[in-house]
Amino acid sequence: MNFATVAAIIIIAAILFFAVRYIYKEKKKGNACIGCPYADSCPKHRQNGGGC
Amino acid sequence: MRIAFAGNPNSGKTTMYNALTGRNEKIGNWGGVTVGSKEFQLKKEFAGDKEVIAVDLPGAYSMSPFTPEEGITSEYVRTANPDAIVNIVDATNLSRSLFFTTQLLELGIPVVVALNKTDINEKEGTKIDAAKLSAKLNCPVFETVSTENKGLAEMIAKAISLAGTIQKAPYLQADIDLHDKNAVDAEDRKRYSFVNGIVADVETRKTLSAETNKTDKLDSVLLNPIAGIIIFAAVMFAVFQISQAEGPLGIGKIFEGLFTGWIETFQGWVAAQLENSPAIVSAILADGIVGGVGAVVGFLPLVMVMYFLIALLEDCGYMARVSAVMDPIFKRVGLSGKAVIPVIIGTGCGIPAIMACRTIRDERERRTSTMLTTFIPCGAKIPVIALFAGAFFNGAGWVSTLSYFLGIVLIFLGALLIKSITGYKYRKSFFIMELPKWKVPSLKYAVRSMLERAKAYIIKAATIILICNTLVQVMQTFNWHFQVVEEGAENTSILATIASPFAFLLIPLGFGVWQLAAAAITGFIAKENVVGTLATVFALTSFIDTEELAMTGGASTVATTMGLTTVTALAYLFFNLYTPPCFAAIGAMNSEMKSRGWLWGAIGLQLGTGYTIAFLVYQFGTLFTEGHFGTGFIPGLIAVLCMVAALILIGRKVRAHFDEQYQLHKAAKAAKATA
Repeated sequence: MNFATVAAIIIIAAILFFAVRYIYKEKKKGNACIGCPYADSCPKHRQNGGGC
Repeated sequence: MRIAFAGNPNSGKTTMYNALTGRNEKIGNWGGVTVGSKEFQLKKEFAGDKEVIAVDLPGAYSMSPFTPEEGITSEYVRTANPDAIVNIVDATNLSRSLFFTTQLLELGIPVVVALNKTDINEKEGTKIDAAKLSAKLNCPVFETVSTENKGLAEMIAKAISLAGTIQKAPYLQADIDLHDKNAVDAEDRKRYSFVNGIVADVETRKTLSAETNKTDKLDSVLLNPIAGIIIFAAVMFAVFQISQAEGPLGIGKIFEGLFTGWIETFQGWVAAQLENSPAIVSAILADGIVGGVGAVVGFLPLVMVMYFLIALLEDCGYMARVSAVMDPIFKRVGLSGKAVIPVIIGTGCGIPAIMACRTIRDERERRTSTMLTTFIPCGAKIPVIALFAGAFFNGAGWVSTLSYFLGIVLIFLGALLIKSITGYKYRKSFFIMELPKWKVPSLKYAVRSMLERAKAYIIKAATIILICNTLVQVMQTFNWHFQVVEEGAENTSILATIASPFAFLLIPLGFGVWQLAAAAITGFIAKENVVGTLATVFALTSFIDTEELAMTGGASTVATTMGLTTVTALAYLFFNLYTPPCFAAIGAMNSEMKSRGWLWGAIGLQLGTGYTIAFLVYQFGTLFTEGHFGTGFIPGLIAVLCMVAALILIGRKVRAHFDEQYQLHKAAKAAKATA
């Protein structure tokens, strides 16, 4: 296995790890729509009978 | 301590809340942007060492709720006992705003009035004597400009200092029976005359409301039922030309060309570095991650330019006029005029659009709007539209325009269908919306709105889309025995075997190949995935390089690789645009509808609509271009007829249920009369 392959595998693993971790954290915060600039207020909306 | 921010719609509450808390909640130049309460701690520069929570409430015209979000406000100020209320009053429309103020002053909670938008009054020559107003209302009044942070510190300091005191009301409502409509009306008139008396004493206007000025003349054209719609169509066409079309006006395309060039160079560099690596590693990194995500990110400039233009239109006050001009048409098809606002918001994202349906009072109208709003293509669908317009139609602007206007037509037709199924009778409903004043749009607001959306787009591409593309690449590379699929045996891959049964159902639509079916399926996770998956499964990232890939005479690289003609490309595009939105939006629909029946009805209707539109486009398009119907005409026709039959059956069932209820009601009435 050459250096480029090892580096590529590490990069793929790191990218996927950080992507999954970000999604997990956002979901834990109650944000259903990843990346939405107004997602922070969604849990409160849900308390009022709505949600996203 | 808690300070509630309450006031009429579009008085600038959320702008003030954002300025005081440092938050970045959605604002807009029309009423009804805030549909739920939000709270956050005040910045230290305003609250000092104290912990003060600001509560931003939806706009309300009075304490008697007319819509669900007004109910949130009246319930909060009545039951949550905030330590103080900051009543944001639109200084440009004092008489209308003070009705609610006098009601808030009756609650006993200390109130501070923020006379907002005083900068506009200065420009118009309107003067309000704040000291006199304060004396009349028995509460402090501060002149504020939320957008410039003017007067906010003094106002908040006063609100904090008043916490725990008892507010004395200048006007007390008589003890009347609130169920007696006439008594309530008479009481409201008394309150209005009290308010008008105050306004006459404290306000001096250079321009009287009854006088016709330039903006009134402009409004008379823009709000004309025919001219208004033609102008709206022209404005939206211009927006699509600038943001998405090829040509001298196509700013979006110019930036996009630069952007995709960089992405392709980077992808080529990554692929070159992995020349001696196993094919799977190169495929995942270069094709799946860089290529797939790059294909989606490549459309970012188009999305940004479009959001920038929409933000300018919103901020200058034009979009509120569009709502007013569309109102009569919406009412005719059984929707509330308020349904226009979710449709406009839906051009950005379906989820806030669905949430905005909450402002619609009637439950049936609200659910119908929730069900149909996502027919308007959201921002996530822009890359899909741009991809097909660029690769198959030489970047023609009409593809985008047609997609959006067809979305509006489908909303109308869907509303008529639901109206007929639910046995709804036309009745007069009211759409009260205050037209905001025309203003020069704020470039700062437009740039911020654009950057927020761009950030959201990039985050989504770097998380959801990236993971999906990686999975698609892995599923395409391996078969069920986890062996690498050999060249020529792609049909044995995991992805192919999962997508093939769906592809079979899509044969009557002209795109019955597993790659296209797989892209459509991943689109339910996020619509941008359609582009990412197509890039991955066809190993194509240069979709939008029109010089190389534009369809010319039906033999371009994209057309050949994807196996689509212009007709099937259009059918596939419409299928992806009008079938159900992403899962997150479906979740929002579920929350707002609060009915499994309506939710499944919505999903069924959207699936049926997307399928039928694609079927009609493919079959009749093939008939016109080739002189015969396309493959699978009969099975497709049977499928469409089955859907029509299902709709008729559901309609009959619903009507039978209504008849049953009506008979029971009649019998109960007769029994009561006899007794």
